[in-house]
Amino acid sequence: MGLNRFEYIEASSIPEASRFLADRPEEARIYAGGTSLLLLMKQRIARPAYLVNIKKIPGLRYIDKNDGTVRIGALTTHHDLEFSPLIRRWLPVISELEPEVANIRVRSTGTIGGNLGFAEPLTDLPPVLIAMDARIKVADESLERLLPLEHLFRGYYETSLRPQELITEIQVDLPAPFFGIKYLRFSMGSDKPLVGCAVGIRIDPESKLCVDARCVLGCVGPTPLRVREAEEALKGLPYRVNSSAKAARIAATACSPLTDLRATEEYKRAIVEVLMRRAVEEAFRRASSKLQG
Amino acid sequence: MTRKKIILSVNGVRNEIEVEAKETLLETLRNRLDLTGAKLGCDQQVCGSCTVLMNDLPVSSCSVLAMDADGCEILTVEGLGAGGALHPIQQAFIEHGAFQCAYCTPGLILAVKYLLSRFPRPTEPQLRHYLAGNICRCGCHVEILQAVRSLARRAQENQL
Repeated sequence: MGLNRFEYIEASSIPEASRFLADRPEEARIYAGGTSLLLLMKQRIARPAYLVNIKKIPGLRYIDKNDGTVRIGALTTHHDLEFSPLIRRWLPVISELEPEVANIRVRSTGTIGGNLGFAEPLTDLPPVLIAMDARIKVADESLERLLPLEHLFRGYYETSLRPQELITEIQVDLPAPFFGIKYLRFSMGSDKPLVGCAVGIRIDPESKLCVDARCVLGCVGPTPLRVREAEEALKGLPYRVNSSAKAARIAATACSPLTDLRATEEYKRAIVEVLMRRAVEEAFRRASSKLQG
Repeated sequence: MTRKKIILSVNGVRNEIEVEAKETLLETLRNRLDLTGAKLGCDQQVCGSCTVLMNDLPVSSCSVLAMDADGCEILTVEGLGAGGALHPIQQAFIEHGAFQCAYCTPGLILAVKYLLSRFPRPTEPQLRHYLAGNICRCGCHVEILQAVRSLARRAQENQL
């Protein structure tokens, strides 16, 4: 079918890109990999008059660690994350999930900033990053600000960013000691995930009780969903089959999946319940495994 | 309409081409450079029949803007082999009957090339995982896997 016509702008800096976006807030879209955007353009769902390619902006593709924080440049690709020794060492949950993202061709071109900024609901990184309390650095022509990633997502393909703002960096603090995290996804083959479920558990090393928890669902609503009631159900308790089952039931009720080509609403709720239960168990196991040695 | 002259190195040959913004890399390769190995399939990065290597990484050329490939090194199936001889991956596909209609084959061969460049002796899960994104509708996946295993075995023997 091919693409509709559009104008193509290559920005050489963030301020330049931001200025262009500010002048044409309705007509311009950021191109940062294009894996999702070009697809919507082919389907005539998105019809931008201008694509602002930010991939030629230097200095936005890096993975660093300093002062207990991992910083990931917005133009870092899924492939970069998949094979980064630094990610494998410090944020292994991301190394675990990246090979499951779409296919190798999408991972070669798709960027983390594009993934988050596009706010596509059927995607893996947001629940995991939210479960680690990730922040994003957002810039416009003159200012920079930090935003908890959780506050980015507003709805299907909708973020809280202003039209002239761009994501420039993703920051994840190194996990606290005795923190365990597990991400589980359910999909058919190498398709988009149908359900994603990230659970982070921090335990007290003496009592082995859960002192903090994050339960975040992906793909079962317009935005990633932090299920605070499920988190509360785990706090103050040691790992127990019935407390993880309770958190799982809460999550299955709290989410709002839609029946679509992939599965029915009921089916997705059932999957949420199973994944949440298993992820809680594994996150606890990982948190406690740090007790020995 | 934005038009721009880009420099595309394809199979080691430098091309200067003026392209439109909406032109995909696949369209440039097929319609301007007459390299018809890469095929249009699903047009949405699922099937893999348009796979080419861009700076040594597999991409769906149906979903890369030609302008975005400016300055990149592209390898298509036409660039494999040397002096009329087939590339070992192509030879292995023939020996194992790893195609029927062959529409998916150029893409698969490049997917295999990437796989073996990163994992010369891939494990069975790696092999299946990295090729899962290239779909053969004739259903030759069993033979394709056999072909790749034979290449991995050969890599191992050469190492020993």
